[in-house]
Amino acid sequence: MTEVKISIEDLQSANPDKKLKVVHIVGQLDESNVDEKIQEIYKSLEANPQNLNLIFDLENLEYMNSKSIGYLTDIYGKVTETGGKVVIAKARPNIADILQVVGLTQLVSLYDSIDSAKTALAS
Amino acid sequence: MDNENQETKITITLPTSAYFVSGIRDFTLNMVKNTTNFEERWAYRFQSVIDELCNNAIEYGSSKDSEIKVTFIFKTDDYLKIIVEDTGTGKNKITAADLQKLFDERHTPGYVFTGIRGRGLVKIVGEWSDELKFEDRPEGGLKISIKKYLKDARKKDAGISQPNPQSITLNV
Repeated sequence: MTEVKISIEDLQSANPDKKLKVVHIVGQLDESNVDEKIQEIYKSLEANPQNLNLIFDLENLEYMNSKSIGYLTDIYGKVTETGGKVVIAKARPNIADILQVVGLTQLVSLYDSIDSAKTALAS
Repeated sequence: MDNENQETKITITLPTSAYFVSGIRDFTLNMVKNTTNFEERWAYRFQSVIDELCNNAIEYGSSKDSEIKVTFIFKTDDYLKIIVEDTGTGKNKITAADLQKLFDERHTPGYVFTGIRGRGLVKIVGEWSDELKFEDRPEGGLKISIKKYLKDARKKDAGISQPNPQSITLNV
């Protein structure tokens, strides 16, 4: 199985009505690991069913396949249906490129830093 | 160097397991970076193309105790061709014509992908290749070929869009 580590961090939200979490993904998300590892994010969604803002920190994500993007799209749908927002921060050029070609960037905005992503979510 | 104009062919056979695909991705990245003149972003793009084709072949085309075959053919300043072949022993027996039909249905403007799966072949392989060809292998299974030209102008010069009754070709 390819190495990937997903950790979820609570951040102080500028909006008291919303919870803010950062999902850090380190390594490579591919066919050998994505079905298992992505469940950590779904568990967090189940624990926070309403008004959750999510930042995906992809600074150390080296590779993602189309199924990983399918999961991100599904997570985007679940979060936005329940009043939350999803953004992506610090994606590497190859990751931004694949997100763009698959069309996810039409739904989810990309930011250069966690701070700029937080600012966008606060607006 | 004289051999820069020669066609180089590399064939790799893999067991039917997603475990081995990361190695093919690494090989693709380094091979494109070090032996072709494609920009670096294309090394990453071909890495994704090979990953999607291999995953489809492993999940649908070849049974667990079988194998898939990956072939790279390139001329340094001209093109890269990638071929992935399965044995047709997998869980989803599909003909080249049916796969072409599926691809065409999903490759229409406004098509909405609703599930987790299905984006790889159309949105990654389709968008990042100049030619995409689906063929039935005589011995069973599918052979999927993509070709990307280093310079877009070569595509026109090569006259690729000529119809070929022996195969199904999509110029994207």
